[in-house]
Amino acid sequence: MGQIVLKDVVKKFGDTEVIPPLNLTIEEGEFAVFVGPSGCGKSTLLRLIAGLEDTTEGQVLIDGEDMTEVSPSKRGLAMVFQSYALYPHMTVRKNIAFPMRMAGMSEDEQNIRIEAAAKSLNLTDYLDRKPGQLSGGQRQRVAIGRAIVREPSAFLFDEPLSNLDAALRVGMRLEISEMHKRLKTTMIYVTHDQVEAMTMADRIVVLQAGVIEQVGTPLELYHSPRNKFVAGFIGSPKMNLLEGAEAQKHKAHTIGIRPEHIKVSTKAVKGAWKGTVGVAEHLGSDTFIHIHGVEGCDPMTVRAAGDVAVKHGDKVYLTPEKSQIHKFDEAGLRI
Amino acid sequence: MSSRRLPRLLQAPAVILLLFWMLVPLGMTLFFSFIRYVLASLNRPEWTTPSIDNWRGFGNYAFVLDSKDFLFAIQNSLLIVGGILFLTVFFGVMIAVLINKVFPGQGIVRVLLISPFFIMPAVNAVLWINMILDPVLGLNGLAIEGINSVIASMRDAPVVGWFFSLWPEFKPISFRATQTSAYAVIMMVTWQWTPFAVLIFMTSLQSEDEQQKEAAILDGAGKWSQFRFLTLPHLARPMAIVVMIQAIFHLSLYAEIEIVSRGNGNKNLPYLIGEFANNNIGAASATGIFAVILANIVAIFLLRAVGKTLME
Repeated sequence: MGQIVLKDVVKKFGDTEVIPPLNLTIEEGEFAVFVGPSGCGKSTLLRLIAGLEDTTEGQVLIDGEDMTEVSPSKRGLAMVFQSYALYPHMTVRKNIAFPMRMAGMSEDEQNIRIEAAAKSLNLTDYLDRKPGQLSGGQRQRVAIGRAIVREPSAFLFDEPLSNLDAALRVGMRLEISEMHKRLKTTMIYVTHDQVEAMTMADRIVVLQAGVIEQVGTPLELYHSPRNKFVAGFIGSPKMNLLEGAEAQKHKAHTIGIRPEHIKVSTKAVKGAWKGTVGVAEHLGSDTFIHIHGVEGCDPMTVRAAGDVAVKHGDKVYLTPEKSQIHKFDEAGLRI
Repeated sequence: MSSRRLPRLLQAPAVILLLFWMLVPLGMTLFFSFIRYVLASLNRPEWTTPSIDNWRGFGNYAFVLDSKDFLFAIQNSLLIVGGILFLTVFFGVMIAVLINKVFPGQGIVRVLLISPFFIMPAVNAVLWINMILDPVLGLNGLAIEGINSVIASMRDAPVVGWFFSLWPEFKPISFRATQTSAYAVIMMVTWQWTPFAVLIFMTSLQSEDEQQKEAAILDGAGKWSQFRFLTLPHLARPMAIVVMIQAIFHLSLYAEIEIVSRGNGNKNLPYLIGEFANNNIGAASATGIFAVILANIVAIFLLRAVGKTLME
């Protein structure tokens, strides 16, 4: 249960083609994350799978069955929305019960499932409250509860954590990951946050302008990005991309080096890049140093472990790890 | 203390003005309701000037309570207000949901829908009673005549003729008659005030959360369930507002009742006050006090109901 296949799917709004022909298979039990900048079509793709948007061309197969023309409620999918989309005048219990009530399930069965979902989501004490009386995290849990009780073949998450504050986001991220380990149901998760993508995904689908740039495990994407876009999008802080003379030395149009693969030194090193410290962000465990004056890349970001005593205006010398340099050709593709 | 004095001083003129605005008419009404006060009397000319010497106690109230029209007027006030409220909310919701969809000519349709609200009540009443509800010249009479002639022609038709020959000849309903004039008023005021309800419901529908609807679609809710479980609860607040505002307005209907039947068989409290006020100001004032009490009872019920929905 829960394999989703997109076959030559095209979506047009009027004359604008949002998603050119696209093929993608999401395996059963997989946690797939669609990630990309805003407006890249990742939410549209999710809505096509859910059936909230009609495909212009192509097919959506769920468990091998053509679901392209099937109504959203019959596809056996559950969706969690960014705005939670709870029914404001219903209590938490009624919210969670709603899909079962619509399916005509018996009261007893409903209650068993509600209790089970509430217990696993720590909502037992809040069942008789209304959504307006809950915090953002609790609301999102109710939305997840409403999805769980349907026992869907796949969960769809549309940027579910964007409305939460940073601390809650980390907590909910773990909860959703744990839920996936426990339920082993297919999950498709849309986000623009590459940290969420890296930490949660079994497989990441990087999208830009409706086109899949790369599909792979988080580490595949990190170690061998297929092109400049993926290289710049995955990893935090962003990969430094250098063009010009420095790239020519490596026989490439562009070279990329991640901030964590650069050694920084205040003493002169032979053959190193020279630069001036702009801003140094001291995080305790790491120091992010933004360096100006390196040819072909301004500013260059360096991530140094621990506390590095540099300040604005200091001259520094940078040595990249040779093995970690990514090379790209003129079209931006990996060499 | 002194820090509060200045703001209070500055508020005072408005508060005092409002107090006078309210208290002077109410006080005068109360005073008149306890004295004998008529506009013209040949036998007792001293009753034509308001004076404490003509004290009547609760005599005016007893007189009003005893008059045959009083209970009828209260009943009728409630029937008319209740009828209009139910119909405007019902049609208001239906029309608002209907025109909330995007369709060509939407702007024009909306303007046209609002237009009855801009017609003067008296004009509205004249148009309805003469052009639509009149049993001879109005649409009412013409429509019944048309139906009758169709039935008459069907009586000679083959196969089904026998069925139509069983039908009686329809008679148009006269809306100026004792039993029906209240319905005429309900109809015309409903027509005029439905746009108000539509306007308020429409703005409310536009603020309905689309993601909630999509979630409901995925949860398996059909069109009816979406309306029943999402749209109707969403409209509870605007409904409360529509009901409250209209109740206040329609308790004091006058023009329509005057024009439809001059109060024959169809009086509400304001109309009764008007009738008494032709001569007997004392009785009119006493009725006025009853009207204030009735309005307050209605208001208390409404505020409770409305307050409850607004609190949620």
